[in-house]
Parts: sequence; C-alpha cells; structure tokens
Amino acid sequence: MRPGAADRLLLAAARRGGALVGAMVISSLLITGVTLALPAIMGRTVDAVLDDHDTARWLALSGALILVLVVFDIVDDLVAGVAEARSTAWLRHTLLGHVLALGPRATRRFTGGDLVSRMVGNTARTGNFASGVVWVVMSLVPPLGAIAALALIDVWLCLTFLVGMPLVALLVRSFLRDVSDANEGYFRVQGTIAARLTDALGGIRTIAAARTVDREARRVLAPLPELHRHGLGMWSAVARVSARGDLVVPLLLVAVLAVAGLELSQGRITPGDMLAASEYVVMAVGISNVLQSVNQLAQARTTAGRIAEVIAEPPVAYGHERLPEGPGRLEFRHVTAQGTDGPVLEDLSLVVPGGALVAVVGPSGAGKSLLAALAGRLVDPDEGEVLLDGVPLRRLAREELRRAMAYGFERPVLLGETFADAIGFGLGTSSTEELVAQARAARADAFIRHMPAGYASRVADTPVSGGEAQRIGLARAFVQGGRVLVLDDVAASLDTVTEHHISQVLTGALADRTRLIVTHRASTAARADLVVWLADGGVRALGTHHALWADAEYRATFQPLSATKQPVRVGAGGAR
Amino acid sequence: MKARSVRILRSSLSRRRREYRRLVAWSLVQAVPAFLSGWIVARAVDQGFLADRPATGFLWLAALAGAFIVGAWGTRHAMLGLASLIEPFRDELITLVATGTLHRSARLGAPADTAGVARLTEHVERARDAYGAIVLFVQGFVVTAGGVLLGLAGLDPLLLVLVLPPLMIGLALFVAALRAMAARQREVILADERIAETTAALTGGVRDVVACGAEERVRAQTGAQVDAAARAAVSLARLTAVRTAALGISGWVPLLLILLGAPWLVRNGVTAGAILGAVTYVSQALQPALQGFVQGLGSSGLWLLVTVGRMAEIAVDPDRPGAAALEAAEAGTAAPQATDTETAEAGTGAVTGHAPVRPGGARVEARDLTFGYAQSAEPVIRGLNLVLHPGEHLAVVGPSGAGKSTLAALIAGVLEPQSGQVRLDDVPVLAPGDGDDLARHRVLIPQEAYVFTGTLEENLTYLVPGAAPADVEAAVRAVGAAPLVARLGGYDAPLDPRDLSTGERQLVALARALLPAPRLALLDEATCHLDPVAEAVAEEAFARRPGTLIVVAHRISSALRADRILVMDGTRVGLGTHEELIAESALYRDLVGHWGAASASQAPVRTVTPIPTP
Repeated sequence: MRPGAADRLLLAAARRGGALVGAMVISSLLITGVTLALPAIMGRTVDAVLDDHDTARWLALSGALILVLVVFDIVDDLVAGVAEARSTAWLRHTLLGHVLALGPRATRRFTGGDLVSRMVGNTARTGNFASGVVWVVMSLVPPLGAIAALALIDVWLCLTFLVGMPLVALLVRSFLRDVSDANEGYFRVQGTIAARLTDALGGIRTIAAARTVDREARRVLAPLPELHRHGLGMWSAVARVSARGDLVVPLLLVAVLAVAGLELSQGRITPGDMLAASEYVVMAVGISNVLQSVNQLAQARTTAGRIAEVIAEPPVAYGHERLPEGPGRLEFRHVTAQGTDGPVLEDLSLVVPGGALVAVVGPSGAGKSLLAALAGRLVDPDEGEVLLDGVPLRRLAREELRRAMAYGFERPVLLGETFADAIGFGLGTSSTEELVAQARAARADAFIRHMPAGYASRVADTPVSGGEAQRIGLARAFVQGGRVLVLDDVAASLDTVTEHHISQVLTGALADRTRLIVTHRASTAARADLVVWLADGGVRALGTHHALWADAEYRATFQPLSATKQPVRVGAGGAR
Repeated sequence: MKARSVRILRSSLSRRRREYRRLVAWSLVQAVPAFLSGWIVARAVDQGFLADRPATGFLWLAALAGAFIVGAWGTRHAMLGLASLIEPFRDELITLVATGTLHRSARLGAPADTAGVARLTEHVERARDAYGAIVLFVQGFVVTAGGVLLGLAGLDPLLLVLVLPPLMIGLALFVAALRAMAARQREVILADERIAETTAALTGGVRDVVACGAEERVRAQTGAQVDAAARAAVSLARLTAVRTAALGISGWVPLLLILLGAPWLVRNGVTAGAILGAVTYVSQALQPALQGFVQGLGSSGLWLLVTVGRMAEIAVDPDRPGAAALEAAEAGTAAPQATDTETAEAGTGAVTGHAPVRPGGARVEARDLTFGYAQSAEPVIRGLNLVLHPGEHLAVVGPSGAGKSTLAALIAGVLEPQSGQVRLDDVPVLAPGDGDDLARHRVLIPQEAYVFTGTLEENLTYLVPGAAPADVEAAVRAVGAAPLVARLGGYDAPLDPRDLSTGERQLVALARALLPAPRLALLDEATCHLDPVAEAVAEEAFARRPGTLIVVAHRISSALRADRILVMDGTRVGLGTHEELIAESALYRDLVGHWGAASASQAPVRTVTPIPTP
C-alpha cells in the first residue's frame, strides 16, 4: 500500500460529496463558533436580566444563537449523512468496476471474504472521511476555545482548570489500559468457544451418528463460566473507570466554581461569568474526545489504503481487433504459465484443430485446468502466446473474445436471480425456448422442471447438488455458442448414463465447434479425435486414446477409484 | 424476527427482576448529583458568594463535591448491577446459538453455514454491548430527568412550566420518529448485507462472470444495489435530522425559555442563584442524559433487535429439514441424478448370497428404501432392497454423487427415508426411544474424522467413556495407530486437531469406532486419507471382528476385500461378488478399470488420425 494512493483516494472520495461537503464545513464552523460563544452570551444575558439593563438585546442574541445552534445541528446531520452516502457509493462503484476488470486475478490476489469486507465495511469508513475531518475540528476547537475563554473571564479560573486537567488525561490513559487487560482474557475464552463449535460442526456427522449432540453442546459451552468471570472482570474495570470519570470531571468543575465563587464575592466577576465559567469547564474537558476523532480519521486512512491496494492492481487489458471467419483453431505458442506454486506449464506448444473434439488428460497437478483457462484468456500466459484463428487473444476485443468462447466448469458458480437467468447468463439475451432446449441438451431440464417454480425458481433459495450445478453450467455454455467450447472436467460428478447422453450432444449437435475437454474419464478420452496427455509441465504425448492406451503410464491416469495395482486377496478378511 | 428477539430479551429481563431492582436502586444513588447540583449551586451563590459569606459558599460547594462522590459510588455499583444483568444474557445467547446450531446441523446431517456461525461471535458481542448501552442510557435518562425535574421544582415550581413542555414535545417527536428510524436503519443494514452477499457471490464466481462476458450485467446489477444502499443511507440521514431536531427541542428550548423567562422570573422573586441553578440543571444534567438516551435507543436498540433476531434465526430449526442437507456430505457433490425411468426401476431384489454367517454381527435389512433431498426432486435411492447376514462384509462402490453416503446414513438411522424401512436384527433403526441403545450397537464413521481439542484418550473413548486402558490399547494397535500415539506423546497428551493430518485424524476415528465392538460398522470413505497399506490394516481390523461391516469404498482394493459388492449409479444398483459383477455390470467394469476385457463394446465413437503438433 502506498500512502500517497490512499490519500489521493480519500480526497477523491470526499470530493464526491460535492457542494454538500462545503455546506458541511460551513455549518460545522458555524456550530463551533456558536457553541463557543454561547456560554459567554448566556452569562451576559443573566447579568443583564439581574441588573435589568439592556435585557432585550442580550435576550434576543441568546435566543438567536440557540436557534442557530439547533437549526445548523440539523442541517449538519443531514448534509453529512448525504455526503457520506455519496462518497461511499462512489467508492463502491469504483471498487466493483475494478474487481470486474481484474477478473479471476482479483480472487487470486485477495480472498473472497477479504474483498467483501473491503467492498462493504471499508468503503463506508473511507466514505466518512470528510465528516471525520470536520469532527476532529469540532472536537478540538471548542475545548481549546473554552480554555481561552476561562482565561478571559479570569486568569485564576483558567489556572485552576489547567492544574486539574492532567488528572483527566491520566484517567483516560488508565481507562485504555484497564479495559484492554481485561479484554484479552475475555476474547481468548470467546475464541476457544468459537473454535470448539466450529470443530463440532465439522464432525457433525460423527456426532449425529453417535447421538452425542447434547454432550457436544456441553463440551462447547464448558468454558462459559470462565467467559462469565472474565466478562465480570471487564465490567468491574469499566465500573471503576466510570466511577472515576463521574468523579474527576465534576470535582474539576467544583474546584473552578469555588475559585469563581471567591472572585464573585470579591466582585471581580459577575454571576453571569460564573455561569459561563461552569459551562466552559465542561466544554474544555471534551478535549479528551479528540483522541477518538483522530483515531477515526486514522481508520479512514487505513481503509482507504486497503481500497487503493485493490485499485493499484493493473486490470486486464483487452484489444480492439475482431476475429476473421474461421473454424476455431487454437494455437499455443511456447506458452509458460504460473500455477499457484511455480510454473505449471513450461514452453508448451500445441495446436487444437478447428472443429475437433480434443481431450486433455493427465495426473492432477499437470496443469489441465490451467491449459483450459489459457485457451479463453481467463489467465494470461507469462510467456508465449495463445492464438484463436490466427489472432493473438490479447489483441481481441473483450466482447469479440467472449462471443467466440464458451466455458463449462467442474464447479460452476451459478449467477443470476432465477435458473433461467443463470442459464442465460452472459453477453446476449436468449429466448426461453432456446434456454429450455439447451437445458434439455445438458440434461438439466428434468430436474429444473421438478423445482417449485420451474425455471423461475430462485437460485439462492433452491439448493442444487454438484452434478446438477454442472449440468446447469453446461447448459449455460451451450447457450453461449461461439466457435470454441472449453469444458473443464464438467462430467466429474455425473453418472455414466447422464455423461453418455451429454457425450452424444458433444459429438452430435455441437460437432461443428472446436471442443477442448479436460477429463479424468477414459470413456470421454476414447470419444475424442485427439488426446492431449499433459505431464511434467508439458505435452507428454498426442494421439488417439486407442493408440495411447498401450502405455501403462497413460492407463494409470484413469483411475476412477484410485485403484492401486497391488495384488489383492479376493475376499480377504471375509472368508475364513 | 422482531417478535422473536423481543421475546428473548423480555424473558431474559423478567428472569432477573432482583438484579434489575438492584440496578434501579443504585442508579437512583447515581442520580443524586443530578438532583442536587443546580440546587446547591443556587444556594452557594445566593447564601454564600453574593451574600458576602464566601465560607458558606465553599461549604455548599463541599456539599456538592460530596454529592458527586456519592454519585460516583452509585455509578460504580450501578455498572456492576448492569453486569449482573448482561453477563447472564450473553451466556444465554451463546448457549442458544451453540446448542441450536448443533441440534439443527445434526438433524440436517451437515454443518449449518459455518461462515454464518463464525459471525455469531461478533453478533453476540454486539448484542451484549447494545443491550448494555440501552439499559444504561434509558435507565440513566429516566433517573436523571426525574432528579432534574424534582430539583427544578425545589428551586421554584415556576421553572417546571418553562422546562417540562418543550422536554415533552421533543421526546414525543423522538418517540414518533423512532419506529420510522428503526425501519430506515434496518434498511441500511439489509442493503449493506445484500451488497455483501452479491459481492461474495461475485468474488466466488468472478471466473464465471468473465468466462460468460457478463461484466456489464454484473456491474449494472450490483451497482443498482450500491445505489439502493446509498438511497437508504440518505433516507436514514433525513430521519437522523429529525432526531437531532427532537434533541434540540427537548434540550435547548428549555434553556432558551429559562433565559427568555428570566426577567419575568426575577420579577416573581426568583433569585440569581436559582437561575444559575436552573441553567446548570438543564445544560449539565438534562442535556447529556438526553443525548445518551436518544442515541442509545436510536442506534443500539435497533442493532440489538437485528442481531438477536439473526441469532434466533440461525439457532432455530429451519422450516424445511433435510433439503440442502447431506448434499455437502456426498463428497462435495451430490445426489439426485436424473436417470432414465426404465433403468431406474431395476432395483435389486433381496439377494440372499452365500456369505458366511458370523455370530455377534447384526442382520441388516433394507426394504423398499427411497430417499430424495426434496419431495419434488428425483430420489437418489429408489426402491432399494438389501439383506446382509450377520457378520457379512459389504463394499459399496459407484461414482461420486451416486448416493453411497446417503445409503450409509439411511442404514445407520441418521437419515429418515421417504419410504421403506431399515431393520437391524429385526428392530427398525428409527424405532422411537432407543436412540442411545442404537448408538452403542452400530457406528458410522464418515469421511471427515471428528477429532476435538482434549486428550487423546478423551478422543478415543468418545463412544465408550471410561473404557479400560487395555481395550483402548488393543483398538489402537488393531487399526495401526500405535506409532501415532507414540508421536503424540501418549494417551494423556493434550491434542489439538490442527496438529494432525487428515489421515491421522482418520486413524483416531477408526480406533474410536472399534472400541465399542459394534454389531454393525459403517465406514463411509473413512480411510480415504490413508495410504493403501494403512487402509488395508485398518479395514482388516474391522473385518476380523465378529460384527457386520459396510464399507463405502474409496479404492477398488477395499472393494476386493469384501464378501459382496453393491454397485450404485444413479438409482440403478447391482449386487454380487467381484467375479459376478465383472461378468454382469458394465459400470463395475468401468470402475474397476477392466478396460481390456470390455474395450470392444466401449470402442471410441469415431477415430481420427492424430494431428501432430507444429
């Protein structure tokens, strides 16, 4: 995180409040001024009333100031709220746009939960920056002004206050220390309970089968008395501190009042001055709030840094070129691409012929999914180039690229309100007939029809199994069309019957497209025109399944039940 | 949601009337300075400083200091009284959440949303803080306002005429706006949660968004939610302004009226000290208490309702049990696989094989078992019949999502079938009342081994608390966990589940399951994280004992150890010995990898000459 970027973002966000920020500053300054002047004016008013001299003028002034205070408090609240809402919304739009522009890279760099917290909580805090600055001013100026005002009324009043003030400072410090000590034990025990609950939930099938739910509840809650004890400890610290707080400030007030009383009896100040002095003491003590406001400001800056960090990531740059007419021929030229630890594919060259059904097989970790992602620019290679019908993918316009490529995934994430939306999710809009037809082709139609509202059922409210999600994701890929279809292990959770039907679609209705299919199944590889056997960062071999099957190592990549080829005694442990 | 949270709050308060009364008593003590301050200031000025008797003035101020000391003493005890109300409330919330979530998850057969559970800690704390703030501020305001009004009446009853009406009008305005404010605040919270949900879905599926080219669509939809949240925030800001207005009317207008009325008051014999006292009352006691009250109720109150409501929701049974349930348990994928009806009907008959009969094992009988994850969904298991002889060893194989885990859960009596029945030794597993008895006679070991923080012995004797050390030792040796015990430092060594690999956890779970000598053991991929040799050792430990054994097989080697094998695929099942199935079931051949024998019938659909790389 570069602090410069964070500060620029803060200013940019604050500017989004526009004229409202100006209005907020003006109303805050007005409130601060009136707050500061009011005790003195009220004191003068009381004096005027008691002396019965010039009463009307001072009364009018007091009344006007109170009115201004009440009205501008209201205005300030409203304006600050609206300005915050605007800044926050701007930050959220900016961040959202950037995350989308980053694409899959965003979630490689930041975890999902982390992005959510940046998008919701951090933007709101950063959006409060402008009002935070105003708050600091408003919590700083009146106390300082009040100390000066005390000196103006009578220098002894001010001295009394200044001698007593360190006591208040001490109190604030001891508050932070006391409470943080007690907090530590409390949060530790709380963490223990949470961890036990999470553990128990992870083992819930064991617990349900052993019928030990009540025992587990007791075990999870066993540290509760300790938590209770720590909690009471926290409270007793808070009670001690609040009692001190309830004492120190008023005693300071009494001390100032005593000095003021002395001055009053000697005729050096008026009753009104005494009134003003007591108000100023209370105001001056408010200086302890400055810390809190400054802290809020510091938080806004930290959160701005977190947002700026995401924005600093360079987005995926698309080109402007369009595709020529073509069969969908994919070419990988000397491609090296990084997996999560180190390069997975190194200097890989491969041609996927247009219109062919090509299976990608290999042991897990061989980079099959990476190859699939590279084919449609879900990932950019670190070195080398991927071309579609002769055009490097980097030079294609985003929409042109997406119209040409369709993807099916092993674990698709279904986005969209309803199942119809989820299937039609993409660039264009499709007719209901088209959606249903493709759902039928992907063998998803039957179970969607069994749902309470059919295709209009809400995705969020209707849990689907992994295999169902795969089929919906497949329907989505079929709807998208395009010249290349990339299927990354889409049949992993499908039974053999369903898989067989889908294979028929792939070799029948979709036979004109280039089909790049990552698979673990021998039956799928057997249907392919060409099998790409990946191993050790590159293409181990190319050929038909039939030809490759002769290789024992090739056969070893297909192990539906991880069959170990050790000799097995049939019925061992059973028959005797 | 609101009604339920109000009920929880009310019942918590009503169970602690004594503590509450103590809190009220102490907060009365706390209000002593609020009650006396203005009055004492008036006396000090009138009888002391303005009467040329500063000593009297000082005495009065000393009395004021005394009042503050008494007040601080009251504060301390009021806070402790508050603690005795709030700490038990927090305990109740945590208990509600923990037991509720556990029971609910156990009924579903899968953990309730764990991320949500993690957030619960935060919610409990927030509820605790908000509850404290509300009791504190509401209590503080009522007592202070009472004290101030009494004090004003003591100075001069005329002052009440100036203070009471605006105070009441302001409060009325606040109370009138409160409901709308709560609604707006709730909208803001919900709008933010919607953004959080959408963002979570988006970040989870950003690959899918990009692959579909749907960036613009998502930007528009999520952007609309962002704008909706901003609108909600603005409309809350408007109502916050109403709150500020209420605060201005009830806090500042009395002050204004006292000043404006001062000439009239003085003419009616009210002294300078009394006016000073009245201003002191309003600006130094009433205003702060009002501010606390309005802000406390306006924000903490709503947070309290929302968070307690959320906890009640998570902790209480869902309306639709069973639905999303075991799906997650089905090895990350699941269940209802649409299958052609003609093949689906081909359930196996109750095949009575020629398996050896062993004493001490349970006879397992499943009749017409049908189960689906929702009433409307296609069943995962349809009309399944199965009879296992006492002591028989059955392996269940099939592709993931074929319903193997579901079958294990049904036989173990953890799931309830939609129709049909499972009987162990002619007693229905779901017979009411003898749940604990059942738990002793059959064990189900799922894929995810449960190991909890405690000693190793506590973990091992989980199913048989107080088992003899020799038995524990025998079970540990039998499954091959002795080296693990040595590594961990013996049975009494404390155990943190995070220090164990998944395979080691499975060993602990296996040894644990062997200990009660169950008549039926169900291993649902319970050895999947062990290497093949360790798996064979563990499985044979179960096969060697007299009990019946059902193994959901992860490797074909473990299927080959069984007496009979059940092949599941969608709702089609096949049952037989290895040789029989090799001969009869194409799926089994496919699973076992016997491609050589079957390749003639599974020939590639079409063959093309390979295209060479450039």
